[in-house]
Amino acid sequence: MSKRVRLCRAEDIPDYCAQGFDPNRRGFDTLFVVRQGRYFYAYADVCPHYGDTSLPWKKDEYLDAAGENIVCAAHGALFNIRSGLCTSGPCKGESLRPISVIRESDDSLWVALEDLEQ
Amino acid sequence: MNIIGPDLLVFGVDDVAACRQFASDYGLVADGDYGFMALDGTGIEIRAKDDDSLPAPLETGSMLRKTVYGVADQATVDAIASELSKDRDVKTFADGSIESVDDMGFVIGFQVTVRKSLQLSAEVINAPGATAQRGVNNVAVSKDDSPRPRSLSHVVYFVPDAPKQEAFYRDRLGFVTTDRFTHVGPFMRPAGTQDHHTVFFIQTPPHMKGIEHFTFHMGGPTDVVTAGTNMVNKGYQSFWGPGRHIFGSNWFWYFKSPFGCNMEFDADMDLHDESWEAREAMPGADNSQVFLLQYREKWAPMGPPPPKPEA
Repeated sequence: MSKRVRLCRAEDIPDYCAQGFDPNRRGFDTLFVVRQGRYFYAYADVCPHYGDTSLPWKKDEYLDAAGENIVCAAHGALFNIRSGLCTSGPCKGESLRPISVIRESDDSLWVALEDLEQ
Repeated sequence: MNIIGPDLLVFGVDDVAACRQFASDYGLVADGDYGFMALDGTGIEIRAKDDDSLPAPLETGSMLRKTVYGVADQATVDAIASELSKDRDVKTFADGSIESVDDMGFVIGFQVTVRKSLQLSAEVINAPGATAQRGVNNVAVSKDDSPRPRSLSHVVYFVPDAPKQEAFYRDRLGFVTTDRFTHVGPFMRPAGTQDHHTVFFIQTPPHMKGIEHFTFHMGGPTDVVTAGTNMVNKGYQSFWGPGRHIFGSNWFWYFKSPFGCNMEFDADMDLHDESWEAREAMPGADNSQVFLLQYREKWAPMGPPPPKPEA
């Protein structure tokens, strides 16, 4: 079984907000989780435009002002929160790489390390 | 056409509060309800994306709504109005400024420039073999330095037809191509400045049309790196840099921003006149910079003090 890393408690992410994480201790966030009610969507923090740059302009700034889209701050690309599909911007039609979030019975959120290292 | 360079960029943004904070932390100073200005009076205007006073947005949703150029005098504004009126609408406002569109649909304005003449020194350095630029007992740096942007420098646009856009700025507005990336597009300067470029057009698919980045000139490379470090320390995230470009020779440091584009600090750009012959190079990392550095937190090669010998 793949090694897992605990991210936080579910309640630590405010509703309709996003949070970045650095589970591999790289010194910068490598994934982020968006919460919509009881649903949690996680993606690698890599914009498909260049394939090796991160999205936010400041820590945890992954969403637009209304909390309706994921935004890449480099060139304003918008992504659907549930699917990760880019709907507007340089990488329109491409998608963020999804990462499975495991929610345990104690309400903690986990990810599999092998999911991160793809 | 004595166009000097960009005076003002007008944005219609998604998150006004975030953009105002970003502009302030970048070093621009609030002016009136919407403006954030550099030392010479050039700057940006931050409005909500649904502000009725804004020109219509591009179909791509890019937050840049208008680029306003400063020109030498009203006669130049009138000459541009006359030229552009040949094949497109030109609005004239009460203050004498005009508004139209370029061949890609970007809204452009022209006004008698608001630029104030700055009387400041560039970064000064001392080197063996050269007369000292910074005199005896003048120290160069302090941990508290907070350099301010001096002047709106240039704008880079994603465009669906770079050759057509280059022809428009060359033939209709008198811009000159200073250098070019093959299959990408031209760096251009208007006739009223010797700066290597005030625009760079990047050929892209139509759905990318919009602003790629904008930047202000700083006083020198130390200002670029100090201002960028101050941004990092406030939590902003670097996109590219610090480093030094080859075309234009300008130092650079780009940051992602809530303006839906990158915002750069630049310094020490090459100057050119009509005797310059444009170069051309293939795009890519090797031709984009002479070197690229990466920020890291302050560190020093010092451990704890050695244990004291026992008495």
